[in-house]
Amino acid sequence: MIIAERKPIEEILGLLSRHQKVLVLGCGGCVTVCLAGGEKEVGILSSQLAMARSKEERPLEVVQQTVERQCDFEYLEGIRHIVKDVDAILSLACGIGIQTCAEAFPDKIVWPGVNTKFLGVNLNVGEWAERCQACGQCVLDKTGGICPVARCSKSIFNGPCGGSQDGKCEVSPDTDCAWALIHDRLTRLGEVDSLREIMPVKDWSYSRDGGPRKLVREDLELESGK
Amino acid sequence: MSANTNFQPKIIVFACENSGWLASEHAAELALSYPEKVELIKIPCSGKIDVLFFMKALEKADGTIVMACQKENCKFIKGNIRAAQRVKQTENLLKEIGVEPERVGIHYLAANMGQKFVEIVQNFYDKIRELGPNPGKVIK
Ligand code: SF4
Ligand code: SF4
Repeated sequence: MIIAERKPIEEILGLLSRHQKVLVLGCGGCVTVCLAGGEKEVGILSSQLAMARSKEERPLEVVQQTVERQCDFEYLEGIRHIVKDVDAILSLACGIGIQTCAEAFPDKIVWPGVNTKFLGVNLNVGEWAERCQACGQCVLDKTGGICPVARCSKSIFNGPCGGSQDGKCEVSPDTDCAWALIHDRLTRLGEVDSLREIMPVKDWSYSRDGGPRKLVREDLELESGK
Repeated sequence: MSANTNFQPKIIVFACENSGWLASEHAAELALSYPEKVELIKIPCSGKIDVLFFMKALEKADGTIVMACQKENCKFIKGNIRAAQRVKQTENLLKEIGVEPERVGIHYLAANMGQKFVEIVQNFYDKIRELGPNPGKVIK
């Protein structure tokens, strides 16, 4: 899932400083699961904002709403009537939701309320870790299901590097060495010999190096083009 | 004492139905009284309390507390531990916006402690009275 974290309150208050009425818009997807921008977080932040502004004697009217997914235009259609009455939207969705919102409401200011961090997994209550960088050409089949792009600090493909020590990465003692994990797992699976095969240079044009990416599946397109 | 001696704080008390709530009934049986502007809300376990409940309470009140079962004595095992954690989280949210974290709290008691219930409420009321009105109150 996409992991996000609420922006510091001072930053949010700064963004909203010139508004009198805002919509705090949550998303029922990833940010609900990672407790950054679901219905409950919308409620808590709205309270905090209203209280902070009341304290400054510059009241802020806060409208609260959470849609199923902010990254789908159809869910945003349903709140058009609410959006028209507010000065701005503070979106608690990930960067994708925030941009979809801005695209759906081109005449409305849309502020980001969270920092989108990474694609990751929930390890423990309150603990998340990165797992994938959406490189566009997955190599998990060759690495025992452990991603060298996202989990090796150098994203190397024929690791480990010389900095791997006791299963930890030289970058931080808190970071597992991805290649140690890959080696251990393939050993457990009896497939460690597969690592003798040198992995070719990765074609990064499928990743961000090829510019913004787009996926078109003609098989899904309807005749109307929509 | 606050400069405004007429200030009567509004307090919202969330009371676990297994301890705080029963203690309030016990206080009533003993004909003990506490300040008028204290609103009691029954919750099924102190663990049901949520940061959002506290924040909503503080939009209209000057202080809010949760009354939980004694430590190690929660019917749902960890309810009072969770409640204490949510008090801490709320304290942080208040600090972030410059509102005194003392406006939220947790107190532990048993069902037969009517006297203690009144003491807790009165002490908190007095403390908030001293602190003055909640500067972040939205519904005035
Ligand atoms: S190899 Fe690429 S697609 Fe596969 S998990 Fe890693 S970053 Fe994601
Ligand atoms: S120590 Fe391991 S994870 Fe860190 S950079 Fe080297 S190979 Fe990658």
